[in-house]
Amino acid sequence: MIIDTVDHVVRFESVGLRYGLGPEVLQDVAFTLREGSFHFLVGESGAGKSSLLKLMYLALKPSRGLISLFGRDIATTPRPALPALRRQIGVVFQEFRLLNHLSSFDNVALPLRVAGVKESEIHKHVVELLTWVGLKDHIKARPPTLSGGQQQRIAIARAVIARPRLLLADEPTGNVDDRLALRLMHLFEELNKLGTTIVIATHNQGLVQRLKHPCLRLDSGHLHVDEPAAAPRRAAGRDGASSSSFEGWGSRSAF
Amino acid sequence: MLNRRTDLALDRDSLGRFLPWLIAFMVYLAVLALAGALMLRATAERWDKGIGATLTIQIAPTDNPARDAGNVEAVLGVLRTMPEIVRARAVDEAQLMALLEPWLGPAGAGDLPVPRLIDVELKQGAPLDAASLKARLSAIVPGVGVDDHRVWLERLVRLIRTAEMLAVTVLVLIALATIGTVVFTTRTGLAIHHEAIEVLHLIGAQDSYVARQFATRALTLGLRGGLFGLALALPTLAGIGYVVRRLESGMLPELALSPAHWAVLVGLPLVVAAIAMLTARFTVLRTLARML
Repeated sequence: MIIDTVDHVVRFESVGLRYGLGPEVLQDVAFTLREGSFHFLVGESGAGKSSLLKLMYLALKPSRGLISLFGRDIATTPRPALPALRRQIGVVFQEFRLLNHLSSFDNVALPLRVAGVKESEIHKHVVELLTWVGLKDHIKARPPTLSGGQQQRIAIARAVIARPRLLLADEPTGNVDDRLALRLMHLFEELNKLGTTIVIATHNQGLVQRLKHPCLRLDSGHLHVDEPAAAPRRAAGRDGASSSSFEGWGSRSAF
Repeated sequence: MLNRRTDLALDRDSLGRFLPWLIAFMVYLAVLALAGALMLRATAERWDKGIGATLTIQIAPTDNPARDAGNVEAVLGVLRTMPEIVRARAVDEAQLMALLEPWLGPAGAGDLPVPRLIDVELKQGAPLDAASLKARLSAIVPGVGVDDHRVWLERLVRLIRTAEMLAVTVLVLIALATIGTVVFTTRTGLAIHHEAIEVLHLIGAQDSYVARQFATRALTLGLRGGLFGLALALPTLAGIGYVVRRLESGMLPELALSPAHWAVLVGLPLVVAAIAMLTARFTVLRTLARML
């Protein structure tokens, strides 16, 4: 696995995307995400947010243009090398995409298992993270028996369990109340402080305004980068529940 | 390889009930076809070697037994000078009567003029043909017939070889049908579990990680079905063997399986399970290769 030590995690140049022979849903998209940055991705519904995220988590190939992840041009990266890139990307899917036949524990453990991490390691970290997202009592529950908010937290736990270098989240706070939404955002900021580059697609204007991170704004297929008026508010003075149980995480360098 | 833990609910789709039955039938038919092929091959080889190089010379009887004996001696004299012939031996009268008795009965044989026979054993691969031998012997003793066993034996062996080829063809068809079945069930499985596979793919699973789960399951189901098929086939074979032994007459060659043959038959379910496993693996890998 060769990871270039470039400071940009994602780079798009003149990227266009069309489905089949349809019109381009993304046109001339160009932006760079530096290592450790935090962006919101906003735009009207149907503006192409999910498509843009799919390009970033390697579910789609662009119809044209250049996409580079962690310094590697995706178009010239051989297919067998892609899983290694994907393992550095955590994704919170809009519709969660949890595996309904697996317990919460196994769902969250999946990225570690796929990466071949030892079961003893897996157990420790998964339990720790599920505890942190408040689902300790539902470790054995299967997703269909859980509420939308609980499922969402499992999806988030699964996305972050392997300490990804890039975290992409599609409406990760859509199914939870504002208090929990904020708490989840703090989880993302915590990860961000540990070096993870973060992109969160959201409709929640309240969150966007409150957290003051730069925005990638999609407008009918075109992308604009909006810097916030003030400097990004570094997640300070958040509600107390988050940080204490989260400390063990920073030392997790094994993955 | 045999990691039982699986991220896909493979054991919960209906294919798990369908595949072992099909494999059981395949193995059942394959065991019978293979047993047939092995027995036929052994028989053909035995015949090819054993009585492969013999022929019989008939000398037409005359009214005079002394002259008959002279004719036999004259023919034997010629045969013994020929380098292609290992051994030539006159069949004595008592033996001849014994051969004829089943056909003519004990009473009839003595009164009939019976030709004198000479058994001739040729060197392996001797280029001696019956027609030229007959021409040569007729010059000395008129009314000599040469009966070349190689002709009908060759036909018989060819028949057995054809039957063997047929059994092998059946085996190949069964193997292809097994592969087709596994490809079909695996593709169906891929479609059923498409969503979960895509998630695994997107969180960075190598193709082999997904393929291993399908392959392990195909192996398990293949073994289960294969052993069941074998369990059905062995009593069938034993039954056929019993019936053949009861029929035992000089007409039927001995159809027996050696211990090595039994080992091959018992190993067949393993081969079929391995085919199922590899087929599932390649099917999954080929399908996943279409994903980015």
